Amino acid sequence: MKSEKNINSEFYSSPGRERQLIFAGLGVLLLIIFTLDIFLGSVSLRPQDVIRSIFADTGTNIETIVMKFRLPKALTALMVGIALSVSGLQMQTVFRNPMAGPYVLGISSGASLGVAFVILGFSATLTPESLQGFGTWALVAASWLGAGAVMILIMFISMKVRDILTVLILGIMLSSGISAIVSIMQYFSNETMLKAYVIWTMGSLGNLTTQQLQVLVFSLAVGVLLSLFSVKMLNALLLGENYAGSIGLNVRFARLIIFASTSILTGSVTAFCGPIGFIGIAVPHIARIIFKTSDHKVLVPATIMLGGVIMLASDIISQLPGSEKVLPVNSVTSLIGIPVVIWVILRNRKYSGAF
Amino acid sequence: MDTSREKILSFESLLIGYKSGRNFNILLPPLNAFAIKGELIAVIGQNGIGKSTLLRTITGLQEILGGAVFLKKKVLDEYSRYDLAQNIGYISTEPVRVSNMRVYDLVSLGRYPHTNWIGKFSFTDREKVSDAIDKVGMQHLTGRYINELSDGERQRAMIARILAQDTDIMVMDEPTAFLDIRSKYEIVHLLHDLSKNKGKTIIFSTHDLLTAISESDKIWLTLKDSFIEGAPEDLILNGAFNMLFDDSSVNFSTSDGSFIFRREMRGRIFVDAEGVEKFWTEKAVNRAGFEISNDPAGVKIKISARHNHNKWTVCTDSATLEFGSIYELVNWLNYQ
Repeated sequence: MKSEKNINSEFYSSPGRERQLIFAGLGVLLLIIFTLDIFLGSVSLRPQDVIRSIFADTGTNIETIVMKFRLPKALTALMVGIALSVSGLQMQTVFRNPMAGPYVLGISSGASLGVAFVILGFSATLTPESLQGFGTWALVAASWLGAGAVMILIMFISMKVRDILTVLILGIMLSSGISAIVSIMQYFSNETMLKAYVIWTMGSLGNLTTQQLQVLVFSLAVGVLLSLFSVKMLNALLLGENYAGSIGLNVRFARLIIFASTSILTGSVTAFCGPIGFIGIAVPHIARIIFKTSDHKVLVPATIMLGGVIMLASDIISQLPGSEKVLPVNSVTSLIGIPVVIWVILRNRKYSGAF
Repeated sequence: MDTSREKILSFESLLIGYKSGRNFNILLPPLNAFAIKGELIAVIGQNGIGKSTLLRTITGLQEILGGAVFLKKKVLDEYSRYDLAQNIGYISTEPVRVSNMRVYDLVSLGRYPHTNWIGKFSFTDREKVSDAIDKVGMQHLTGRYINELSDGERQRAMIARILAQDTDIMVMDEPTAFLDIRSKYEIVHLLHDLSKNKGKTIIFSTHDLLTAISESDKIWLTLKDSFIEGAPEDLILNGAFNMLFDDSSVNFSTSDGSFIFRREMRGRIFVDAEGVEKFWTEKAVNRAGFEISNDPAGVKIKISARHNHNKWTVCTDSATLEFGSIYELVNWLNYQ
């Protein structure tokens, strides 16, 4: 009897050891790809120059490139990847839907409405130039306000509505409604402003000032802490809200924490970088495929690391190393994410409704 | 009504149903019943009458619309979700399909109300989980993904999950639905064993009246306008089960606890046989639409299955025929 139990516990510690190895590998990969992201770009840099410019005040062009552009951009990519992937994981579990992502609550359309108001609504008084300096903060603030308004509305709905599927449908309806309003605004705006808006929707990792980066770091810390706090609740929610309640989960409290985490993470990323698609849907699936588990104690750290790796890789690709051209990062993430999503759909035909 | 053992769960004038806005949609008249430690209770009633609602309400998953539920002498509302989860476990009819979840992970979720905020497992937790898996006989399947289990195995894993939850009361909504006959009896046997040997109070809904009658200690019969509580035999003797079949063509036989289908009878037949042969021949004759007569006098058809294995001799006024099987006999009877 006693030895049987030992066999059991041993059996379950072996995937643990394997997991530690994968995590260690991911850590190394993350480090490598983060470094690569700093080296690669329109100008390729030599390692010794980069190290010198980080640790010494050389005042060269290389230092400007590294400290003002490459490093903030790599940090932004890392944080965007983490934020969107963790949000996506949370939404897929809460809604028990493999196609859910960070934007199902309508946060990105809320943000885009805010941005549309600034860019398109005031296009009579603004010029594209005024969108630099003061303008970037105006965009961020508008985007935050839009995302925040939607977030509060969704929180309110989720406290009132019992059925989680109804919350999902209301979220989708809300985003469609907001998109319709944005379309009307686009229809009546002038060409330059329309282009400025369209460029915002394509996402960008490079335009953050140091202060903005600090705000992003702070929001990310809060959001990730909340997501770590929600690990146990997410595990219970895998079984559906009825079962989760029967094993002791306060479902409304769980929704509050998880939606708050997702809103803070997704809201701030969207405010600073625009809507960036498919990372949030695809990365949690990749994490499940690699770790073959449904346990969020593993999945949350796994999506954090994988999200960073994949977003950094997308950033490298979008810079088309060695060339002067840059691709919109949103297109790159979509092209990486779509095959994963298709693969998941095809694989899941067997168990419809499972994720 | 007084019992020496403690009432672990009871409800008085309980109103169950749904609330939409300010409107209460109450499904059943006020309900009164109780459960004692170690009892196996079957909840019987038509589809859609409110069995699941009742089970969810006593588990605390659905709002109580009137009256009160008492759990261990305290009102249910006084318990937090966490405390409640340490006293009542629940299985619904909703199938759990999570990919990448192993049997061990599923059963571990039962420890939810006993672990800290991050869900860290202690030695006791690990022990309770492997004990629960042992009890349902799934040691060899611990590492299997739940999507790869058969319906019966998945249901056993779900039961292991509540066992790991270590609650005195287990509430299950149709635990044997969708199961094949073998898994069904295995599950019912397991429930019986848990109630008798582990002292668990188990409340389960079912449509299988015969199993409920033979295995459960008590039945909660849920009807449109009444709720009847009692030992299965009590309900048989006072004719309560027949209220389930009010207008349908099925009737419940009080004498032997089987179902009788009401048919137009085409005549009377005397069966001359003994033991099992008599029993099954009469059953077949009944199905063919003939009444059984206990007296050979004045009966047009007589069937003899005496002394002769696998041979049924039929005597009518005009002829004597022989059949090698009940199937052939019934085929002939159908054309009479």
